[in-house]
Amino acid sequence: MRAFVFTDAGLARQAGRFVWLEIDTEMRENAFFRQRYAVQALPSFFIVDPESEAVVLRWVGGATVAQLNAMLDEGHTALVQRRQGTPPASTAAPEASKPAAGMSPDALLARADELYGEGKNGEAVAFYRQAVVQAPSGWPAYARATESLLFAALESHDYATCTEIGRAALPKLRSTASAVNVAAIGLDAALSLPPENAQRTALVTEFESAARAIVDDAQVSVAADDRSGLYAVLVQARSDAKDSLGAHDMASRWAHFLEQEAARAKSPEGRTVFDAHRLSAYLELGEPARAIPMLEASERDFPDDYNPPARLAVTYKELERWDDGIAASRRALEHVYGPRKLRVMQNLADIYRGKGDVSAARSTLQDALQLAQSLPPGQFSESTVANLEKKIGSLPNP
Amino acid sequence: MRGMTRIQRSLSLLLVLFASQGTAAAAAPESSGAAKKVLPFQDNYAAALAQARAAKLPLFIEAWAPW
Repeated sequence: MRAFVFTDAGLARQAGRFVWLEIDTEMRENAFFRQRYAVQALPSFFIVDPESEAVVLRWVGGATVAQLNAMLDEGHTALVQRRQGTPPASTAAPEASKPAAGMSPDALLARADELYGEGKNGEAVAFYRQAVVQAPSGWPAYARATESLLFAALESHDYATCTEIGRAALPKLRSTASAVNVAAIGLDAALSLPPENAQRTALVTEFESAARAIVDDAQVSVAADDRSGLYAVLVQARSDAKDSLGAHDMASRWAHFLEQEAARAKSPEGRTVFDAHRLSAYLELGEPARAIPMLEASERDFPDDYNPPARLAVTYKELERWDDGIAASRRALEHVYGPRKLRVMQNLADIYRGKGDVSAARSTLQDALQLAQSLPPGQFSESTVANLEKKIGSLPNP
Repeated sequence: MRGMTRIQRSLSLLLVLFASQGTAAAAAPESSGAAKKVLPFQDNYAAALAQARAAKLPLFIEAWAPW
């Protein structure tokens, strides 16, 4: 988004319609933001009424320029209506927690967006679901409402709703950018159903077939990272089927796609956007060394960015090149900040452990624990502290 | 990847999103420092909120991390 979408001239008409704010959630001074807003995943986008600081619309994940333009238009309109006291025709009280009879799809969507904006995913699902069920053919908000519904349901671990809504939506959204996310979430949700679910196998087969068709459809204009995400889920589907050759083949296709996208990038920054996805694909392939040239190039191009050396450290750990991993980790630690620093430190501890230096591993984890305990509300995580304590406890006694 | 369930992992790849409990450093593509010539982003919440109130404009917020 930052490298490709926000820089697109197709968004120029929106520039004066909003005040634009970016929040780096890793920075200590921005810790409050995670307490005030429902940041359940990154990136997340919010359109906010500045008077009340209420979220009018929330969007999770990537978007094409066209999708973002539509979202901005919708959010702008919703806020104007809110200020004029003329929300979409609704018979329900604004604070309604359940859909009421007689609410229009637009009214249902408006309430769903409010609830989703507050992070009340379960309640939002009920409104989104009713909105898309009631929606007339050609309803302009159908794609956006469906994607929000699926994200809200997935965040609620409501996999049955994801598959049900996904099945209904795929034929309607065929060849649109939304189809990629619908197929990916649908397949992901199907794979997440418990093995004893009688529908699981059929649903996985259905969504995998749809996902395979979509991932190969060059006519679908979609963000490259969304298409990459679809490849990732397809790899998982083959792994789930215990088809190691099929998983390897899909991972190969995934890596090839990403390498093509990276080669097309017009700047080092555009190329680097794909580094993490490519590393994931190479790890799936069992070929981590393929990541080294790309990460070394990224480290040269962006010497102040902790990501390339941090990813190199992960790569070297996989290759059991312990000393290279330690050196790369140290370079990353010079630049990393916020909760993400804990990941770099834990990876370093794993490297020390792999090298057989338990004392250094323990010391690194203890430093990480101290940092984790010092993080402010909004960044502090009880589970992270517990995991670190468990990891320290699992080390062999000196 | 450390301590992740399959669903968390696929979500992270799917959405390019990495909540604080989620993923290893390996899988996180948002790169910092993008040139933003089209949209005039700022990075101070209080200042942006005050500007939006004064101009009676909605506030668009991108919550991100340098992953």
